Amino acid sequence: MEPIEDQIYVIIFATIFLGGIMSTFVISMVFIHRQRQVQNRQKLDFIKSEHEKTLLNIENEIQQETLTHVGRELHDNIGQLLSLAKLNFNSQKPEKHIEGKEILGQIIQEVRNLSKTLNLDWVESTTVEEFLVQQLKKISDTGFCETVFEQEILLEEMEKEQKLVLIRVIQESLNNAIKHALPDLIEVRMMKSGDEKVILIRDNGKGFDTAQRSAGSGMFNLKKRMETIGGKFELKSELGKGTEISLVLPK
Amino acid sequence: MDSRLLQAFSHWFTISSNLLLIIGVFFFLKLPKDKRANIRYWLPFLILTFTVLYENFGSYTNYNFDFKKAINAYLGNTEYPQFNLWLFNIARRQVGVILYLLLIKYWLRPAHKKYINWMILGFIILVFVLQISGIEPLYLNQPIIFAIGANLILIGSGLYFIGMITHDQYLERNPLRLVSFWQMTIILFTFSLNYISSVSLLYLYEVNPVLGKALQDISYVMLLCTLGVLIVTIASPLLPSIFEKEPSYGTD
Repeated sequence: MEPIEDQIYVIIFATIFLGGIMSTFVISMVFIHRQRQVQNRQKLDFIKSEHEKTLLNIENEIQQETLTHVGRELHDNIGQLLSLAKLNFNSQKPEKHIEGKEILGQIIQEVRNLSKTLNLDWVESTTVEEFLVQQLKKISDTGFCETVFEQEILLEEMEKEQKLVLIRVIQESLNNAIKHALPDLIEVRMMKSGDEKVILIRDNGKGFDTAQRSAGSGMFNLKKRMETIGGKFELKSELGKGTEISLVLPK
Repeated sequence: MDSRLLQAFSHWFTISSNLLLIIGVFFFLKLPKDKRANIRYWLPFLILTFTVLYENFGSYTNYNFDFKKAINAYLGNTEYPQFNLWLFNIARRQVGVILYLLLIKYWLRPAHKKYINWMILGFIILVFVLQISGIEPLYLNQPIIFAIGANLILIGSGLYFIGMITHDQYLERNPLRLVSFWQMTIILFTFSLNYISSVSLLYLYEVNPVLGKALQDISYVMLLCTLGVLIVTIASPLLPSIFEKEPSYGTD
């Protein structure tokens, strides 16, 4: 074969080879894209189902708590008031009848208040700030410990589902502090850290070793819950030095 | 009319590219004012107009030999006065490469855009050095400059494809219905095949003119395809049922 002919073949071969490489590259990219697209969709579906599962769990927990609360209220409060009203109406004295009517009015009001707690619509009507103030007041009213609330920032309105999860995490964190830490003081601060909005829950209780498994599992659930709404859950604790929980809010 | 003038402008590639420019102008004028001010549409239109203008200018230099000879002489080329390589070196292999790099840059994620800026800067410096030092004179074939330019385009397209298979926004879309995907694919093919044809063209015209012409025809077809995809980019807002919305990486 002539050298010139050889060179021509090389040029033709190089052109076809380069074209082939380019085609293979582009086709492979499309295939890889398809594969990753499927993986990405599966990942998104998983996150979505996890999110739904978390929400469902939270709603169940709240409903269980509400039923317990309603039962207690019916027995301890409304039941007592009804007995008192019955006693008053059984009396011959007219002033007792008036008192009985007043008690009936009180019972009606209590039943109304109780019925409001039976669904989750209150989550929509209350703000996170109002909820925090309410919860801290409840704690300090029991005389269990002192509470402090500092609000440095205003929170934007959140979606009902996000708010529900956040409220539940706050409630759980406060419950943990009361149950396990036995503090003298619980401090809640709503503040800004960098460009993130944070709710800081701090107690001066006995603290715990964060490496311990029993303490870790409950905290893991709280962390997972915050992550499902796009937030973060950070915990710092040391034996004898209290606990600090940072709830970084979703942007 | 002068028959030589007619001959110079009657090549099928010149006619086709001029027709494509007319179509491009039509679609560009049909775009809403805010879209015309968007780099996504005006840059392809600029490249389309620039390409057709220099191709026509190339045809003119073939018609006006004296003009071509004078430019060649000015650049120091008295040996090959019939060459108009200086025009295609500047327009296609230097300015063209920079314009296409800018076009690629638009589709990249912000972290990758800076690589293109460095590539453009490096390319400009290298072009100056190679030309001023006399390694690749402006009036002769410039295989090194074109090889570097083509490779930069390949790297830029590669960055686009990496973004396409890794970024969530791209993973939500069908690439075959994205204008950017077709743009990158055609640019990738055009520059790689043009590179082969450009480095072997002079040699092939000497030893096998038929093959040389065939290879140049491939370049012409690829160039027309590129102009076609630029028109499709300009017309894409008018064809919402065919193309999906492009991911913007928050820069749009």
